[in-house]
Amino acid sequence: MAKDLDFKREVLRLAGAEVLTCIQCGTCSASCPTASLMNPSIRRLIKLCLEGRKDEALANDTLWLCTSCLLCTVRCPRGIRPKAVVSALKEISGRDEKKSKDASYEELFVKQIEENGRIAELPLTAEFLLVFPQGMVQSMQMGLELLPKGKIGIEIDRIKGRDEVKRIIKELRR
Amino acid sequence: MKLAYYPGCVSQSTGKEMDASTRAVCAALGIEIEELADWNCCGATHVSNELVATGLAARNMAQTDLPIMTACSICYSNLRAAEERLKEPEVLAKVNAVLDKKYRGAVIRHALDVMLEALAEGDERIVLPLKGMLVAPYYGCLLTRPAGLYSAEFPVILETLIRRLEAEPVDFRKKTACCGGPIFMPQEKAADDIAFGILSEAKRAGAEVIVTVCPLCHLMLDAKQKILEQKGGEKIGIPVLYVTQLAGIALGLGPEELGLFMNSVSPMEIVEKAYERMSSES
Repeated sequence: MAKDLDFKREVLRLAGAEVLTCIQCGTCSASCPTASLMNPSIRRLIKLCLEGRKDEALANDTLWLCTSCLLCTVRCPRGIRPKAVVSALKEISGRDEKKSKDASYEELFVKQIEENGRIAELPLTAEFLLVFPQGMVQSMQMGLELLPKGKIGIEIDRIKGRDEVKRIIKELRR
Repeated sequence: MKLAYYPGCVSQSTGKEMDASTRAVCAALGIEIEELADWNCCGATHVSNELVATGLAARNMAQTDLPIMTACSICYSNLRAAEERLKEPEVLAKVNAVLDKKYRGAVIRHALDVMLEALAEGDERIVLPLKGMLVAPYYGCLLTRPAGLYSAEFPVILETLIRRLEAEPVDFRKKTACCGGPIFMPQEKAADDIAFGILSEAKRAGAEVIVTVCPLCHLMLDAKQKILEQKGGEKIGIPVLYVTQLAGIALGLGPEELGLFMNSVSPMEIVEKAYERMSSES
């Protein structure tokens, strides 16, 4: 497969040029709470980015198994932020028309912030279930737990500065 | 001491008891708080573009000149990370170009640290010392990351607070492990396995209660506990309290004020036990 150097440059721009200094030591993979489920591992994902192998880097669940715990980032001996590489790949994959369920969740999340300035969990969950009906069982279980406790926010809380928030999301998304 | 209080989105839903107990404890400790005007979502862990995430945090931070306190570790981590990035002039210029009120620096604090500062050792406001209560200090990830005030892997501030309330922190191996929460919607099984591992470890460590500093950790360990017990095939039955609820109990605040009836695994038994221990001693 041909190297996609634009892809590599874009990852470096978003995640930091220090990614180039990766020595493939695997500290990131060894620290990751979901490493056992990842294929490729986070270490290998970074290698794929540096080799410009865009399709292989994006076509897997590794990105979406990242819990954003930042342990890789705290521990990397080269000062690389593997979590930022994951974020960069999420950002790049979000530009594609065809989206995974995970990418759709992120998109719906940001759309809610754009529209209301805040997140209301019930409408967010409802919208996500339209994309991913398989999530229904879990959502019902949680709903049954939270509803009697009065912990499901039904109203959508809209802030005054919605235009400003919209501008932040639109203009800063370089 | 006066602080701006950033409740965060969960304060209106799954984290109502976090919000209630934070307000109640601040009132009891004489910490004056003023809700941050027209605050917006911090983006949680779902805004992948760092500059956008920085902008969302900067808008919040630009609403006040007071130090900002939050009880949510996700909000806390995002505001702190943004505050760090905004030290770069290029980032600052780009962000301020789109903000109405301009960002001019900020001090970000977690409710845990604010409470600890306000509580002296042997503080007479601790009317119910939690003597003998075995507490698992669960930090999760984002209170201590990105690295800054606390060690990212071996923090001790929660243990310090637990001891100040005269309870006993258990040695909890998974105290800074991730709860899996950020991916629980689209990657249910992965998240559940991680969260069950934390609960199971807390049980092994002999904890009577787990204390959390993050509403997502709380959701995973408390609201999901019954579901996780079924999946994991092990009874856990450990109440999970927000650190503000635990402190509130020691300060003698009532269950209504602290939202204790909103917890899924009822903490009332351990509260009663604490009262019993106190009355048998006196």
